[in-house]
Amino acid sequence: MSTTWLPCGVYHQDYHQDHGWWQTKFIKGKMILLFIILFVVIPLFADSYSLSVCNQVGYTVLGALGVQLLIGFCGQITLGHAAFIAVGAYTSTLLILEFPWPKFMMDFGVAYPLSILIAAFAAGIWSVLFGLPSARVKGFYLILTTMAAQFITVDFIITGYVSQIGGRGQAFSLPPGTIKVGPWVIDSDLKVYFMMLVLVISCVVVMVNLLRSKVGRAWVAIRDNDISAEVMGINVVKYKLYAFYVAGFIGGIAGAFWISNLAAISPEHFPWFWSLWLVGVILIGGVGSIHGTIFGSIFMVVVMELLQLGVMQFMDTSWGERLFMDFLFLKEAAFGLAICVFMIFEPNGLAYRWWQMKNYFNLWPFSY
Amino acid sequence: MEMFLMTFTSGVMVGGIYALVALGWVLIYKCSGVLNLAMGEMTLIGAYVSLSFYSMGIPFLLALLFSLIIGLVLGILTERIFLDKLIGEPVLTVIMVTVGLSFFFKGTVELIWGTDTRVFTPPVFSIEPIHIGPVIVGQAYLWSFVAAIILLIVFVCFFKYTRWGLAMQATADDEMAALSLGVSARFVYAAAWAIAFMAAGVGGTLLGNINGLNISVGYLGLLVLPAVVLGGLNSVPGAIVGGIVIGVLQNVCGAYLDKYFPGGVKEVAPFVFMVIFLLFKPHGLWGWERIERV
Repeated sequence: MSTTWLPCGVYHQDYHQDHGWWQTKFIKGKMILLFIILFVVIPLFADSYSLSVCNQVGYTVLGALGVQLLIGFCGQITLGHAAFIAVGAYTSTLLILEFPWPKFMMDFGVAYPLSILIAAFAAGIWSVLFGLPSARVKGFYLILTTMAAQFITVDFIITGYVSQIGGRGQAFSLPPGTIKVGPWVIDSDLKVYFMMLVLVISCVVVMVNLLRSKVGRAWVAIRDNDISAEVMGINVVKYKLYAFYVAGFIGGIAGAFWISNLAAISPEHFPWFWSLWLVGVILIGGVGSIHGTIFGSIFMVVVMELLQLGVMQFMDTSWGERLFMDFLFLKEAAFGLAICVFMIFEPNGLAYRWWQMKNYFNLWPFSY
Repeated sequence: MEMFLMTFTSGVMVGGIYALVALGWVLIYKCSGVLNLAMGEMTLIGAYVSLSFYSMGIPFLLALLFSLIIGLVLGILTERIFLDKLIGEPVLTVIMVTVGLSFFFKGTVELIWGTDTRVFTPPVFSIEPIHIGPVIVGQAYLWSFVAAIILLIVFVCFFKYTRWGLAMQATADDEMAALSLGVSARFVYAAAWAIAFMAAGVGGTLLGNINGLNISVGYLGLLVLPAVVLGGLNSVPGAIVGGIVIGVLQNVCGAYLDKYFPGGVKEVAPFVFMVIFLLFKPHGLWGWERIERV
């Protein structure tokens, strides 16, 4: 994964160094600093609002990782990822609400983590189901089938059937105290934050390691040219379905995680807009880069929050109040414009700028 | 049987409108290779513009004409500002720009006109239904169908017999050859977008006359995707047939399958059909089958 240039005078002498996680001492120090900031500084100093923004970023990262895998690393464009997130969220919720858990499992708080896992598997299988057409079609046609996945899953199956289970009406509300991980009841932004950190970090680590493995190389080969990948002996269909499976799996985790932050879930939490939003996130962050997923998530969430704050400044004027009432629409328009502008002026995304900056400083002051 | 005939007829009528919008879609794809996901929002804009003119007291046909002019301007602007810079970029980039455009349009429409359902007041078409043999058809459906068919004929004649239309066909067929013969590709792209915008606007206006106008008309615009997939992405007759078939399919499924699968079969059926169809015949009925080479 030697994607950056090393500083002047540092050379790798064998392949192990080339494949190392932390290639220089400086990078190691930087990562430890990052961990300290994430685990100590932010929880200590952030207020509830900024924590909730962080949680949103984390949710977006989890959702966008799967999209990044499919689009950025396997070349399978998907516009229906919210469907798999929804499957994860609903599986987890239904398991918590309807499954007769033994008393001791509830007491020890095993039920929710277990339901996350099952939700992830369920979402993965659901995703493979809609990945099956990728054996025959690609490009624009695949986009259409993934779009169909969104409409069929969320607008039809979940709204029409799954939501009716238990006769609760449209929204499933989770009674407080049901979401319990080990001894902790997840009831505050801080606890959600820690859970988010654990999930995001483990998913990112799994993704990066997968990409360094045989599977990951096969994905990249398929992305670059699927016909030559097939000629080289890669079973294209199998690896495409793997990609769909892993993407759905991570999406399921994202959905199952997010119910801890919602008091009630309903199909409106997983609209088509959310699928496109995730694709927009990775495009703005940078396609084919894990950094890009995270940068894109931070950028989009923070920009939207700033936009909201900006609109709130004008609350006392009549048009400001109207804009605030219709903020969702403003958000949509701003999102659309942001995608267009990024695609036209910065097609490589934020990760590319980051890469350039890093290289500049690595080679500073004497570039080769 | 009578019920089947009724749903079938109204399906054909609505399908005529879909065919009109699908024609605009195919035109953009044929001429410039852009896979446009903003079609639904283009129908919205045209519909709302003509509704605004109409509620200002301007006669319906004149309002429609104004919305056509605005569609023309918006189409050229969209092409010049956004799509012109993306010639030669990867497919995903172009598609996502159209997705971005769709959100931009949708958000703007919602900000300007709100989300309440609006109707054309006074109604453009009288609500007295017409009896054709055993079949009863609403006037709005019938006249919309007639209008859609007239426009379809106008557009097809435009491609076949006018200088500009022939230039567009030439570019669609072989861009390099067209360029060397002095056809301006930029003009053709702009014209394609302008025509698509106008077709979408008329389609949206007609749909708005049938059911009232709100954001969900934009969703109906998405139905052109199953239509064009069915007909083949770059086939004009395919778009027309596909639009009508999808309209019929939607109505018939809505009428007959709703008993067994309650909850929005009408909205989902075209997409389910599309997925199954893609598995067996990914190039549509009359689309070009491109042979891939490494």
